[in-house]
Amino acid sequence: MKLYTVKLLTITCEILAQKNIIEILNKHEINAYTTYEVDGNGARGIRGQGFKNEKNVKVEVILREEKLQDIVEEISRTMFANFAIIVYVSDVSVVRTEKF
Amino acid sequence: MEILQLIQSNLLTPIILFFLFGIIAARIKSDLKIPEAISEFLPIYLLAAIGLHGGIEMRNTGFENMLIPMLVAIGLSLLMTLNHYQILRRLGKFNIFDSYALASTYGAVGAVTFSVGLSFLKNQGVTSEGYLAAILAVLEPVAFILAIFLTNMAVSKQIRQKKKSFTKGDASDLDMGIQETKTKLSQVLHESVTGKAIVILLGSIVIGYIIGESGFDSIKIVFDEMFTGAIVIFMIEMGIIAGQRLGDIKKVGIFLIAFAVIMPTFNGIVGVLVATVMGLSLGGSVMFGLLLASASFIAAPAVLRHAIPQANPSLYITSALGITFPYNIIVLLPIMFAVSTLVHGNGSIDLFNYIIKDWI
Repeated sequence: MKLYTVKLLTITCEILAQKNIIEILNKHEINAYTTYEVDGNGARGIRGQGFKNEKNVKVEVILREEKLQDIVEEISRTMFANFAIIVYVSDVSVVRTEKF
Repeated sequence: MEILQLIQSNLLTPIILFFLFGIIAARIKSDLKIPEAISEFLPIYLLAAIGLHGGIEMRNTGFENMLIPMLVAIGLSLLMTLNHYQILRRLGKFNIFDSYALASTYGAVGAVTFSVGLSFLKNQGVTSEGYLAAILAVLEPVAFILAIFLTNMAVSKQIRQKKKSFTKGDASDLDMGIQETKTKLSQVLHESVTGKAIVILLGSIVIGYIIGESGFDSIKIVFDEMFTGAIVIFMIEMGIIAGQRLGDIKKVGIFLIAFAVIMPTFNGIVGVLVATVMGLSLGGSVMFGLLLASASFIAAPAVLRHAIPQANPSLYITSALGITFPYNIIVLLPIMFAVSTLVHGNGSIDLFNYIIKDWI
């Protein structure tokens, strides 16, 4: 089996920032992603208690390295200052490279 | 003294007791929690019940007389938002983003507070005008739209001034700023009008209007008799959330704590008086006052986090939920009721008899 290396971009942020993230992804022509609601603790205290608005969300996107730079740059520039957000990138291998 | 008595009796109603119970549960770090699906469902249920009642009432009384109260409510809401901003910015020394976010949180309406108010009146055997539900729906986005518009104007003005100091003024930057504001505003408008709160409220008003009293009979048990019970369950959740935030109250500062108590009192009493002048009933004036006194804490974060992300959310959530909401339902509601009774000239304000009677 031949595997191809691509990038996995993971963004953990407050649920109300999810829309901004998706907008940025769409702007860079990325329409495939996975989200799930999560709880956690961090610089902004325990999150996920109380209203749904205060939960966190984890967004996972698999993409080619070419697009990664611009997206991470835009997220850093527009969102780091105002939102609870953690962004990290890892290497993953996929079978069907044409999907990404 | 009579007002104190009213507050005391109000404290012993199930709604308030369960709210306080929720706070205690949170303070002793109990794992008591209302399941998420239920606490998401209950606001929808409450809004549906409010809407249905409003619609049925409007069928009985007609809605031609709702126009003036509605316009007055919108005008007052806008004026109060501007007034809050001036107070927060000048006296409170908050930055422009926090000032506008807080100003609109307090200019907006709280649907949960409204439900508690309705149930409070129901307890007293007092009715209110049905069209107030329609005013609740219309008032929901008004303060936010104003605050977001002004924030964006202020930001683009700042950017323009900065650019001017580097280069000679360029008109295209200004156009871009206005363009951006426009898209942001139309987004906010679209989101709030299609948001679940307004959709369910308006939908229920229309359905209530169509079915009328006779059609309501078959669903009365759910939307009328269970109303207060459902609020009680929701109050446990509200109490828990407010209790978890009690620790944060120290962080918002003494100015905001005072603001969160004084402004609703002022706005609420102005609301009661204005409503009385417009000819609303005793109960209707209380609800009108409550609309202006209440602060938004479910809709506000969702709108503001997106539209004014620079503002610190813990300021407006903690003050609206941790201070103003308990104050409104425990203290201000009886005060407004007393004021409304007084100005409606119904003589005695001893309408809390029913509780005292139970004791004896």
